Amino acid sequence: MIKQKINTGYLISLGVSVLLAFLVGAVILLCTGHSPLKAYGAMLSGAFSAPRHVGDVLEYAMVLGLCGLACDLGSRVGIFNVGGEGQLLIGALTAAQVGVALDGASAWVVIPLAAMAAIASAGLYALIPGVLKVKLKVNEVITTIMLNTVAASLCQFMAKGPWKSSNRTLIAATERLNADYWFGGLLRGSKLSTAIFAAAAIAFVVWYVMQKTTPGYEMKLTGQNPRFARFSGLRIDRKIILCMTVSGAMCGLVGMFRVYGAEHLFKPGVSNDYYFEGLMVAMIARYQPLATILLSLFFAVLKIGAEGLQQVGVPNQIYLIIQTVIIFFMAAQGGFLEQLSHSRNLNSIRSSKKGGA
Amino acid sequence: MKNNEAVIRFEHVSMQFPGVLANDDVSLEIRRGEVFALIGENGAGKSTLMNILYGIQTPSSGEVWIKGKRVEQYDPRIVIEQGVGMVHQHFMLVPSFTVAQNIVLSREPRKHKIFFDNAAAEAAARKLEAEYGLTVPETEAVEDISVGLQQRVEILKALYRGAEILILDEPTAVLTPQETEELFSVIRRVVRDKGMTVIIITHKLDEVMAISDRVGVMRKGRLVGIHETKDVDAAKLASLMVGRPVIFDELIRSGEPGATALRVEHLQVSDHRGLPAVRDLSLELRAGEILGIAAIEGNGQSELIEAITGMIPVRSGRVTVLGREVTGLEPGEIRAAGLAHVPEDRLATGISGLATVADNLLIGRQREPRFNRFGIQQNRKAIRDYAQEVYQRYDIRGAGVDSLAGDMSGGNMQKVVIAREFSFDTPVLVISQPTRGVDVGAIEFIHSRIMEKRNQGAAILLSSADLDEVFRLSDRIITLFEGEITGTFRAGEISKEDVGLYMTGSKRQGGQEA
Repeated sequence: MIKQKINTGYLISLGVSVLLAFLVGAVILLCTGHSPLKAYGAMLSGAFSAPRHVGDVLEYAMVLGLCGLACDLGSRVGIFNVGGEGQLLIGALTAAQVGVALDGASAWVVIPLAAMAAIASAGLYALIPGVLKVKLKVNEVITTIMLNTVAASLCQFMAKGPWKSSNRTLIAATERLNADYWFGGLLRGSKLSTAIFAAAAIAFVVWYVMQKTTPGYEMKLTGQNPRFARFSGLRIDRKIILCMTVSGAMCGLVGMFRVYGAEHLFKPGVSNDYYFEGLMVAMIARYQPLATILLSLFFAVLKIGAEGLQQVGVPNQIYLIIQTVIIFFMAAQGGFLEQLSHSRNLNSIRSSKKGGA
Repeated sequence: MKNNEAVIRFEHVSMQFPGVLANDDVSLEIRRGEVFALIGENGAGKSTLMNILYGIQTPSSGEVWIKGKRVEQYDPRIVIEQGVGMVHQHFMLVPSFTVAQNIVLSREPRKHKIFFDNAAAEAAARKLEAEYGLTVPETEAVEDISVGLQQRVEILKALYRGAEILILDEPTAVLTPQETEELFSVIRRVVRDKGMTVIIITHKLDEVMAISDRVGVMRKGRLVGIHETKDVDAAKLASLMVGRPVIFDELIRSGEPGATALRVEHLQVSDHRGLPAVRDLSLELRAGEILGIAAIEGNGQSELIEAITGMIPVRSGRVTVLGREVTGLEPGEIRAAGLAHVPEDRLATGISGLATVADNLLIGRQREPRFNRFGIQQNRKAIRDYAQEVYQRYDIRGAGVDSLAGDMSGGNMQKVVIAREFSFDTPVLVISQPTRGVDVGAIEFIHSRIMEKRNQGAAILLSSADLDEVFRLSDRIITLFEGEITGTFRAGEISKEDVGLYMTGSKRQGGQEA
């Protein structure tokens, strides 16, 4: 696992990685006959040229941030939740269907119930790999990936079948929610909604619990050395299951926010591998909550900005290339820095020897 | 010129690790045909120096010469070619391979250049055995032979690769007195008959006196002295190592054993492969006494201790702590019944290397109100103050309570474990390998702490591979062989040599219960 510390060395290597990634992106742009300067300019204006773009950036940062934090939570107890995508979809679907089924009831009833449904369904869905891991030692990476496919298919089945919208132009979607239940929009034309306040509150609680509390300390020790944690009297099996469940519930809530804040119905497109992007952000942030949140903002700028790129004729895949290249360099950085410090030590000893003689 | 010629020369060798100067301008000559002992406290730089010689690490500055040739590139493969062999403290053997297969590993004889030639491997092993007078069961799997024999396999492996210079890193740590004696006679033989050079890294000063021709003492990365062994004695070496006089005071015992605190009845435990490791074992431990377990590694003592403390499941039988049955409970529940545990493997079990020293000292008390605000938020200041106080009380030395536990030296890591477990003040203490890999000064400290606990009325179950330690501390001693108690003795009733016979199962008392 990647080292757990955020320090100046980390910040420097992050900066260098980002720079190099943009350089690689520039080379690709040059080779394909685009001007890198123009393209990156279009990226910036794509993200900031209008309030609605800023709104989209914030909405996407919220999704990335919560997904990333969900991943942080699992990694803190040494479990790698790769199944957030499926948990998100399950949460989105059940939340949407609560709104459809209770159509007509007060928003004060529907929204809390929908949130609870998302938490419960996605949490239970994440409980499966958690229990399998603890009781039967089944690798959670495998189970969560497989359950992603199951969830995606199941949700599509429900959206095409029993819960299909009466609107025939929609192939796989549930009924549109009553507009009374929508989270209020914050910036005209953007997907940003009041859900971001709820998301901010959740992010704060997760950060607080992980970084400041005694349970967070116990989680950290469990993830660092489970054998030691159990030896010291912690019930690590319970902690792992609990963190997995909460991680799933958070993903489910992201699904609910997507439905009630942005899409207003369930369709498979409520998430386009958003969890995996959040997971990558968490990895780059070394599973540290604060860094995860900050980097979510950064990557949201890139992602929404890349849509501006489309307008100058550059496929927005350049965003994915930049993102993965950053990860690549961050992974290489560990070994590289070690080399560097080693040769620095060598030099300092050599020079001190010379000076002394 | 044949003898006394320097086969190895270190010239001004320094090794800088981040924040630590592990070797500081070490110059040393080792002569052909001698047994050279290298001693020093933990972190004194012995292993680093030997790792440089063996090509595992490249020194920051300085030069190494082997048989008159300067080492240009630090690479074990090249150094092995030049006739240097090393037997590590933790054996590098493939457990499921046979002895012969392990000996020829990396230089396997082949049939038609492709297929492994087992017959040739066994023949080669037998030839080596005859040549050096070291017998091993060449067709048996390494996992089925004793630790002493495994060590011989390691030595033969080095000889097979043509080693003339043999480095032995803490070779006697896992051996019985008899096995140690055998190892020494092997060393004497290869040195006398084959003109080999042996470098032995050790903590045990009486062994230095018994086997070596010369001895080098390291302290804090520097070579502080080289002596002819005949000119020094163990006490002198101990003071040189620590840098101050070390007096092993007679430990003072006081008080009488009280009520039974730990009771084990007909315990059966399986090892990780599911084979019986502890067979129908019963023992009783009373308050204010130390019960020492003398056994060769792999005879059930680890499983016995892990089963008592809840780390591994119990197959059948009962464990009772202070009258409360704890069989099969989780470690945390057993701790709550009044037991603390110093585990045999501190890195894997005893600490979290990625956490700070303070976090490592806190665990077990983290829920106490004094360490929490609003019932949930960690009170970092209170935690730090507490850790600081324990840190000083247990004379832990390192970069402070905010540094990572994994960056400490082995001896200080062990002090962290001891400090935490002893600070719980539990009536029952289960202690495994309290001073493994710990330097002389710290051993003295840890031993007196254990004795202090005993005198305060703690019931202590002690397991150690170091027989001297078992003898020094225990009120009673049990010997284990293949998971069964083969003898129970009062301290002073039996000699180490006799205990060795019970440890190997060659003698046993009838119908044992401790």
